Amino acid sequence: MSKNAFIQVLINKFGASILLTGKIFRFVFFMTFLIFLLKGTQNLAGYNLNQTIFFFLTFNLVDILAQFLYREVYRFRPLIVSGGFDLVLTKPISPLFRSLMGGADILDFFTIPPLIFAVIVIGRTLDPSLAATSYYVLLVINGLIIATAFHIVVISLGIITLEIDHTIMIYRDLTNLGRLPIDIYKEPLKGILTYLIPVGIMITLPAKALMGLVSASGVIVSFAIGIVALFVAKRFWGFALKKYTSASS
Amino acid sequence: MKKYLAIFRISFAQEFAYRLNFIMWRVRNVMQIILIFFLWSSVFSDPSRVVFGYDKARILTYVFGILIIKAIVLSARTVDVAGEISSGDLTNFLLKPVSYFKYWFTRDLSSKALNLSFAVVETTILYFILKPPFFFQTDITQIAAFIFSLILAIILFFGLLFLSNLITFWMPEQGWSAQFLVIVIITDFLSGGVFPLDIFPLVVQKILYALPFPYLLFFPLQVYLGKISGSMMWGGILIAMAWTLIIMAGLNFVWNKGIRKYEAVGR
Repeated sequence: MSKNAFIQVLINKFGASILLTGKIFRFVFFMTFLIFLLKGTQNLAGYNLNQTIFFFLTFNLVDILAQFLYREVYRFRPLIVSGGFDLVLTKPISPLFRSLMGGADILDFFTIPPLIFAVIVIGRTLDPSLAATSYYVLLVINGLIIATAFHIVVISLGIITLEIDHTIMIYRDLTNLGRLPIDIYKEPLKGILTYLIPVGIMITLPAKALMGLVSASGVIVSFAIGIVALFVAKRFWGFALKKYTSASS
Repeated sequence: MKKYLAIFRISFAQEFAYRLNFIMWRVRNVMQIILIFFLWSSVFSDPSRVVFGYDKARILTYVFGILIIKAIVLSARTVDVAGEISSGDLTNFLLKPVSYFKYWFTRDLSSKALNLSFAVVETTILYFILKPPFFFQTDITQIAAFIFSLILAIILFFGLLFLSNLITFWMPEQGWSAQFLVIVIITDFLSGGVFPLDIFPLVVQKILYALPFPYLLFFPLQVYLGKISGSMMWGGILIAMAWTLIIMAGLNFVWNKGIRKYEAVGR
């Protein structure tokens, strides 16, 4: 399925190159903004330039990995509106797997290696211990688990409301709030972003772990939240499937 | 004139056909502002601090001003032109006694009216929740120049957006890609929609001021905040006018070329 998705994107080389250019521009613009901002202010919520950049890189890592894996979510609505989802349900493949991972995004495949390289280069300047690095890797994986839960909720809502495009963009905007350390937010927003919509656990906590600011118990609690989120999302998917009306088919 | 008033009314009503979509779009705008608001609140945790020539009141006015000015300048239905060209629906308009440019400009105005009314409500609600200090401009010259620069920004953005749609005449499937690159990425950043452009070194600012993008959001807001005044302000307005003329002339030229290329595919 992903191979087909790759071929589809590569057929339209001009469009793909524009999209890739746009993504790189957006990254470079925001990075430039952070560099000039921190040069003027010296720190942001107590974090220096390299630390702030590392938060931003970690946000990009989790965000781009999720987009790479779950690009099919962006193509889910037409299946529901047209009733084409019937064909997915009748095939001997998990409809959830098909709906989430039915077509990886090759454009992100190009951006992931340089991003990982940047994470390593900037991460090394923070002088992390082996334990801190391990916690970082574990918490990034946990971030992806939470991202999976979010995407499941989005497609489940899509079945119930027929609305995907804005819901997925709201998810993107919510995760965008994690582009910078959530320490910049005030309560109750900070609490909401940490526990209710765990953007903080997804993005800020891994970066903090590399800086040696998260304990082993913090990692365990984060995983517990990630697993609960995935479990709840999976139940919601089951509920949504029962609401599918097979309209238009 | 009557027919454009009718287009305005119908377009306004159409926006309500997809209420959930519209509300979601507005929610997204508010969330983008929240990030920027807290970012700058964090920078200005010491209220007496002045960074990049902004005090706390001015920078937070900038953040809220962006919400309002984006609704006025960047809200547009003209994004749909590319789809009409590639699907052949443009033919319907070519046969009608209506100016295609005026038709879309009218639809843009109706979208702006709706978005502005929501942006004002959102700003009011956020104001009462976040209680930021605000800067109110009282100089009548600055206010007049601000309004004039906003009018120029509306026309300039219309031209830029329409122009980016016209790539569809030559590449029917690529309308979205030009819009994505020119409007979503370049315009948003280089117009000051994400951060004020005066955080950059002077040489970068000078280069940016030679482009049309800062005159969409950043320049009008600077005029409102009183950070640009006197000869610099009038000079900026002249550059904005020059860009507006260039873009509109370019639009006319490309449209005339494109319409000769148009094959009404799908009709």
